Amino acid sequence: MRLLVAAACLACLLPATLAEDDSLHWHDNYADAVREARRTGKPIFLEFRCEP
Amino acid sequence: MAQYVCARVTRIDNSDIALFDRDWNNTLYYFVMNSDEHIYLRYGGRDSRSPDTYLSLSSLEIALERGLEIHRRYQGGEIKPAARPKPLFPRDFKVLAENTLARRRCVECHLVNDYRLVEKEQEGTLDKLVEMYRSPDIRTIGIELDVPKGLVVKEARADVQAAGMQAGDEIAGLNGTPVYTFGDLQYRYDKLPRDARQMSVTVNRGGRPVELAIALPAQWWVTDLRFRQLSVEPRPEFESRPLTAAEKEKLGLKAAGFAAEVKSIGGFAQMLKVHELKAGDIVFAVDGVEVDEIADTPELYIRLRSKAGDKVTLGYIRDGKQAKMEVRTQSMAFRK
Repeated sequence: MRLLVAAACLACLLPATLAEDDSLHWHDNYADAVREARRTGKPIFLEFRCEP
Repeated sequence: MAQYVCARVTRIDNSDIALFDRDWNNTLYYFVMNSDEHIYLRYGGRDSRSPDTYLSLSSLEIALERGLEIHRRYQGGEIKPAARPKPLFPRDFKVLAENTLARRRCVECHLVNDYRLVEKEQEGTLDKLVEMYRSPDIRTIGIELDVPKGLVVKEARADVQAAGMQAGDEIAGLNGTPVYTFGDLQYRYDKLPRDARQMSVTVNRGGRPVELAIALPAQWWVTDLRFRQLSVEPRPEFESRPLTAAEKEKLGLKAAGFAAEVKSIGGFAQMLKVHELKAGDIVFAVDGVEVDEIADTPELYIRLRSKAGDKVTLGYIRDGKQAKMEVRTQSMAFRK
């Protein structure tokens, strides 16, 4: 149970921080993220988590 | 954050679990990497106290800043692409494919580990000392981190203090491999062979790197297993509390033994009557053995020293009388 709470807390904190930038988009497809990173030259921030 | 491409993976059915190797008992974990699939750092990790012991927004921000810095170095050619491990997918585990993918069930992270261990046990290659005791606790050797500050040491005790580690040091490497986060540190620490007796840790102190040779105590890898009880078979189907020295003496049991009081019986055992232990029973022997160098309870002894399906004989005390009971150990039912 505490694990789920921790996951939820951190996951909630992240979007709150990221919400300052409306252009930020979370890919739900890993291959798409790799393609965008290749196109833009940006690094990838990849989250693994259970489905809520 | 706009400097990152963000992605979220909630189903790992088609993920390369060799590339994203980690302790699969962490259900929340992050990688900072690039489009060449070169991993810069990991963020995550936990200990037996809590799943969020080492998670904080400020340490995550530090990790993200480090990731950008490493990315610039990678793009500048200062860091070479890492050799990619041979790809490995959940479907490569036969039992997992049959029990989970074929039934269109979610491949939960812990299942990767559970089925991997099932296959290892079937092959006879399972090393329980490594697989049961994943992600050893760094506090065992005396490292207490200032978690919001990433890898800054809050307090250095015991073995690391003896090696010269000081409060305020920032851990930067383990055996020559850079570590940028607690996730990196725990991952690399877990990779040490369990018979290792020394490791080298690099710390930044006052802007300069300092190398510390840390002597590892015997059983440095032993950790509290309660939060990963499903990881290694068999299931003894009871939980107990180690007796105190005074309690053992009063009962005439060996001082170094793993005698313990049964506190609860697993639901499966109650349903199928796989054994007849009751709360309050004192179990002091398994197959005539009362002392083990690692196990401090009979159920831990069973998990370490027997396989699922084995019959074991428990020596126990009930109402002041010693008796024996035969128990067949159980396999795990993986699904919720």
